[in-house]
Amino acid sequence: MGINLSKGQKVDLTKTNPGLVNVTVGLGWDTNKYDGGKDFDLDSSVFLLGSNSKCSSEADFVFYNNTTGGNGSVVHTGDNRTGDGDGDDEAVNVNLSTVPSSIEKIAFCITIHDAEDRGQNFGQVSNSYVRILNADTQEELIRYDLGEDFSIETAVVVGELYRHNNEWKFNAIGSGYQGGLGALVSDFGLN
Amino acid sequence: MGINLVKGQKIDLTKGRSSLSSVMVGLGWDPVEKKKSGGFLGGLLGGGSGGGAAVDCDASVLLLDEKGKLVSKQHVIYFGNKTSQDGSVVHSGDNLTGDGDGDDEVINVNLSAISPSVHRLVFVVNIYQAKQRKQDFGLIQNAFIRLVDNGTKEELVHYNLSESYAGKTSLIPGELYRNGSDWKFSAVGEGTLDLDIGSIANKYL
Repeated sequence: MGINLSKGQKVDLTKTNPGLVNVTVGLGWDTNKYDGGKDFDLDSSVFLLGSNSKCSSEADFVFYNNTTGGNGSVVHTGDNRTGDGDGDDEAVNVNLSTVPSSIEKIAFCITIHDAEDRGQNFGQVSNSYVRILNADTQEELIRYDLGEDFSIETAVVVGELYRHNNEWKFNAIGSGYQGGLGALVSDFGLN
Repeated sequence: MGINLVKGQKIDLTKGRSSLSSVMVGLGWDPVEKKKSGGFLGGLLGGGSGGGAAVDCDASVLLLDEKGKLVSKQHVIYFGNKTSQDGSVVHSGDNLTGDGDGDDEVINVNLSAISPSVHRLVFVVNIYQAKQRKQDFGLIQNAFIRLVDNGTKEELVHYNLSESYAGKTSLIPGELYRNGSDWKFSAVGEGTLDLDIGSIANKYL
């Protein structure tokens, strides 16, 4: 069991885990299920950001339709359409040693697909979390349970990996936004 | 006028409002107006209003523990069991028609007196004898749930269930729940196919 983070907490990743190269970022969630309600499809996506906190091109936006970024250092393992079952719903593998030096931060986000049409928001989603595992040993290093903070938001930036003095750290952000994936994409400098 | 919520919205109740202890939960609904000139076929087929019987909606509350399970069978508060064991939740009784403006049924909740074992209060509205009367929430409109501070009489929140719930026989308009030492309210607004409060309660056993 790794370190449990609370919102806003920043922790060392490579400094406290020497030799750490490959990490798996696992994202999970549960949705309210009622008879006949519309299905939820939550998506995770990753933004590779420069020092200005923006993506420099569309290639730096890694999601279900563009599953590899950062010269192959970041790999999204694909879309889970239901969120059913225990454990991680979607996962992203990151090779920290080969992330291009122009990339300062890697932001992990969860959005609700088609939220507006389906009348859905994060108020109907519970038990969201992000956790980071050593991909080579499957040891869980850190975990951040997002708790009870969301309501009518349709996009959540759960956390980011970022460079600090030649090490990688993790920031438990947990900020919700309205406007879904589209709003995030434009906030991160893409159209 | 309180804050109007949208489906899925969650809101703090007691945070920053430490004086709040007793809330009135008002639930309301109206029958869809029957078309007076249903014509010959309309008359023959009962006017399309569920065989013509009035729709009798009942409000109830399920008191759940920290794990989301019903604390006990006595923790279903409805017209046949109007007061919780700790006295904190009191159902003011059954309204058989839903006619008239304002709240149709009222449940008073003394937040400060709720047993520590109770973490979540799920409000439910279901149609009495829905199956026998062949009725569903397509026959109901303008359903709402609202919370009023019993101390100041101020309306705190109001949530209109504006979706269509045709085909559904139970509604979950909202939930009160603990968040740390505070209470929050969630505008759930979901319909279910449960035919009575018993079958909803069974889902939380």
